[in-house]
Amino acid sequence: MNESELVQLVSPEGERVRHPDYESSLGVDEIFGFYRDMTIIRRICNEATSLQRQGELALWAPVQGQEAAQIGCGRAMTEKDFGFPTYREHGIAWCRGVPPLNMLRLFRGVSQGGWDPQHYRFSTPTIVLGDQTLTAVGYAMGIQKDGTDEASVAFFGDGASSQGDVSEAFVWAASFDAPVVFFLQNNQWAISEPSTLQTKIPLYRRAEGFGFPGIRVDGNDVLAVYEVTKRALENAHEGGGPTLVEAFTYRMSPHTTSDDPTRYRTDAEVEVWKHRDPIERTKALLVREYKYKNSHFEEVREEAEAIALKLRDDLLSLPDPDPTFIFDNAYAAPHPLIDDGRRDMIELGVSSVTS
Amino acid sequence: MSHRTFLMPDVGEGLTEAEIVTWKVSVGDTVTLNQPLVDIETAKATVELPSPFVGVVSELHGQVGDVIEVGKPLIEIEVRDDSSSGATPAPVKPTARTAVFVGYGTSEENEVATRRHRRAPSTSTAFGPVVPTPSVASVVTAAHVRSTPPVRLYAKQHGLDISLVPGTGRDGLVTRDDVDRALSGTQRRTPSAPSNAPTRFVGHDLEPWDSGPKEERIPVRGVLRSMAEAMVQSAFSAPHAAVWVRVDATPTMDLVKSLKARPSLANIRLSPLVIVALALCDAARTYPGINSSFDAANNDVIIRRSVALGIAADTPRGLLAPNIKNADQLDLVDMALALDQLVTKARAGTTTPAEMLGTTLSITNVGPMGVDGAVPILPPGTSAILVVGQIAKAPWVRDNEVVVRDVVEIGLSFDHRHIDGALASGVLSHVGRFLSDPAPALLAR
Amino acid sequence: MTTTSLTMAKALNAGLRKALENDPKVLLMGEDIGKLGGVFRITDGLQKDFGADRVIDSPLAESAIVGTAVGLAIRGYRPVCEIQFDGFVYPAFDQIVSQVAKLRSRTEGVYRMGIVIRLPFAGGIGAVEHHSESPEAYFAHTAGLRVVSCSTPHDAYWMIQEAIAHDDPIIFCEPKCRYWEKGDVDLDNPGRGLFEANRVREGSDVTVVAWGPSVKTTLRAAEVAATEGRSVEVIDARSVAPLDLAPLVASVKKTGRLIVVHEAPPTASMGADIIRRLSEECFYSLRAPGLQVSGYHTPYPPARIEDAFRPSVDRILDAIDRSMDYGL
Repeated sequence: MNESELVQLVSPEGERVRHPDYESSLGVDEIFGFYRDMTIIRRICNEATSLQRQGELALWAPVQGQEAAQIGCGRAMTEKDFGFPTYREHGIAWCRGVPPLNMLRLFRGVSQGGWDPQHYRFSTPTIVLGDQTLTAVGYAMGIQKDGTDEASVAFFGDGASSQGDVSEAFVWAASFDAPVVFFLQNNQWAISEPSTLQTKIPLYRRAEGFGFPGIRVDGNDVLAVYEVTKRALENAHEGGGPTLVEAFTYRMSPHTTSDDPTRYRTDAEVEVWKHRDPIERTKALLVREYKYKNSHFEEVREEAEAIALKLRDDLLSLPDPDPTFIFDNAYAAPHPLIDDGRRDMIELGVSSVTS
Repeated sequence: MSHRTFLMPDVGEGLTEAEIVTWKVSVGDTVTLNQPLVDIETAKATVELPSPFVGVVSELHGQVGDVIEVGKPLIEIEVRDDSSSGATPAPVKPTARTAVFVGYGTSEENEVATRRHRRAPSTSTAFGPVVPTPSVASVVTAAHVRSTPPVRLYAKQHGLDISLVPGTGRDGLVTRDDVDRALSGTQRRTPSAPSNAPTRFVGHDLEPWDSGPKEERIPVRGVLRSMAEAMVQSAFSAPHAAVWVRVDATPTMDLVKSLKARPSLANIRLSPLVIVALALCDAARTYPGINSSFDAANNDVIIRRSVALGIAADTPRGLLAPNIKNADQLDLVDMALALDQLVTKARAGTTTPAEMLGTTLSITNVGPMGVDGAVPILPPGTSAILVVGQIAKAPWVRDNEVVVRDVVEIGLSFDHRHIDGALASGVLSHVGRFLSDPAPALLAR
Repeated sequence: MTTTSLTMAKALNAGLRKALENDPKVLLMGEDIGKLGGVFRITDGLQKDFGADRVIDSPLAESAIVGTAVGLAIRGYRPVCEIQFDGFVYPAFDQIVSQVAKLRSRTEGVYRMGIVIRLPFAGGIGAVEHHSESPEAYFAHTAGLRVVSCSTPHDAYWMIQEAIAHDDPIIFCEPKCRYWEKGDVDLDNPGRGLFEANRVREGSDVTVVAWGPSVKTTLRAAEVAATEGRSVEVIDARSVAPLDLAPLVASVKKTGRLIVVHEAPPTASMGADIIRRLSEECFYSLRAPGLQVSGYHTPYPPARIEDAFRPSVDRILDAIDRSMDYGL
């Protein structure tokens, strides 16, 4: 990584870093708030991993290591913005106000979504890589046509950047000056494939070829991510068109609970990135600059613990949907095949619904 | 304290088993929520399993190196009942979930399969036939008759209009048994076709009464001509006489029914007519004089010790009477096959002239036409023809009690030049006894 | 005869290994198939033994995996593409139906499209969306493609080798819920050809046709049916397109009843097509209409209710009931 290419405002040791174009606008309460967000989302994530290992979730996609990228971006998004996530945007979901239990519905296998996307202005996860980038561009074109000052945010990763749909999204966003921020979390690994297999140049530089600006930010520096994303969003709000933000970060965990990273990456590499841990960095800044004490952090830890335990209780008491649920939303209007299927299932007695 | 079992989870989407790599706890250890218990190795990865319970380890299932199936017990933990809900979650259900197995493998497919759900009999409509359901035994029009292709074929092969057969199957479906009943006459035919429908007349379609010409001439050709000539020749050369008798055919019906249920006879078309044919051949063996012809030119009576059994068949072309050669040599299965083939060919119009020559004895089955009896005219060159009426439920006196039985009237027309009433009655009684008690007669053959 | 017990995953691995050994033109391409050995470990160890030139970790672009396979095939290679999950094949749909399926015809036989597209398909593993779909009918519908599915480790071992050696493009559907089930593999004798059906249980009352994941479920249903006095004949179609029709016709002529079991939705499905073919061939033998036990006409459901969507023992038994209800 060429350090000079990347916007960083806080070093891994928690020291301020000067940048010619960006400086932090945040006060201590906001920084501590980000610390709290990151700590809670990591704790939720660990609880979900445990629940998967205990047979209670089908799968979990951990976000560990990417908390600063997600909290920085999530907190930069305003209420009027609309996000289109992948299956790993738990930190963004937290910032959008999605209850943790709803984040787990997909992985529990009781829903293919999990929350009301219009209510939170945050779409449900798209699993097929890159599909949602075109969706986000289309949504941004709608904003443009409506003449409002909102923006959409397309979330994707280094792996998905190889998909044709992502390039097409870049073309369309540029051609129509769509108010969209492409928020690319380069976590270095697409399951077992290093980002070097997906790209020969830094990913943020792709934007230039499509005709809009790209910028790389230290994805483990929550202050930097916040400022860079905020400016990209403001640019979109003001009619300035698309921006590609590449948050340079690291997936500390397996791709999902089904993965085995020991097969393809070394412990040494993981150790390097542990040193850049986003939560530790923010904590160091709070201690160094604002003299925060252990009691502050212990309070957050306890809150996170309570949230995690409540999440566990809520999940374990989550009822399975009635099997006829599968017929409920396939179509907007009545459909004979749906009626047939529902009747068949009820007659066979698989469903608890009897009428 | 209460007891909780942690089952081996599926940690990797569809895994079926895992090997114990390292136990991180021992029996007697106190464990906290999410405390690492064990490392397991699956086909995909080695992973650490955290405790879902707070409590004391009471049993470890398996040693290092043992392979445990997904969904089987891995570790037992004694849990304090007064623990806060957060620290002692609901137990991982030890019983199999009925729906799906998130985290518990592909499903319990290695256990013996059983049926859990069964459709209520009255509601099987979702993917069933969509034709509106006629009530059982109601008259339905030909276009909407409900049956299955093999039964339609069966009815067609037997010259039966399936639209006139009342269906007793599910939702009024016409079954093979319904067709058999119609063929053997146990079900009365429905009233004649509406007056505006075309009717059949010895191989010709006749215009309806209201729309047809006031007078119509039909050329006497083909089968109609053969029939006319044969009947004239026979009726005005052989003096006809007849005898008839009513028979309790219930044992024959029972026999046919039981034979049809045998898997080995599944593909054979069995009907009471097969038993009648066997009965007549058996009678001929006992009374060879009946299998004869009167040679007027030479003033001889010719006795034949081989039966060419003619069967009068109502075909689209008109009345045909092909025969089964050496019918007296056939057992039940062969007789059934021969009859089936004969009828099929007759309906299809592929009967050859050779198959209609040399008849020595005949049967005409008028049951499907819904009548009890007839006085048939002898096919030329033969001396006897057995007529079989419809087999229908009727009161019958047995052991001085009136009972309901399957009753049939059989009759025999004969050439009175050389066959007297005693011989004819002997033959007919023999056939009747055979039908009343077919099993011993069949076994004796 | 050399017989060994393998999981389907290991049998596929062994079959791919043989194919790589037997023909230097064979290439494997896909996401995470190298060091990781694929998300299902089907290609475990193959990159180590045959090199990254022949076992190629591809960038994450399914259209490109298949699209470049076309060029490699023209160049004389035999690419074997792994699509990570069924629901990820659609980005490659254009390449498959527009190029892979049609190039031989378009070049009047000059281009050989000896491409195998491996598709872990169908559900039953409690997975999230797009990881449980059964898209075989999309491909069966497209002239120029062949579609096969293995149901046992033995068939997996042999069919993958035969598919790779074949000169037509083949969509190779692997039932992922059977990957970890063990079975005997005869390493000397395939037993039957790639495009031949296999009668896996003899019976006289009703013929049930299945493939891939549904074969085992159907056999379990047949066992229960036997306890209810019904004799069920089970045929593993193996080749979904083209169908090996003769054994199906013989069976249906014998039993007079037909049920097709698959996980795909019912509309325009392979079940519908099989019933059409056999209605034509066996019309006067059919004692009941051909019935289909399939997924429902809905998107694949969340995992915890997927067993209500997939053909289950109960639903197959119910279809047998309904078929028998039509009378003799």
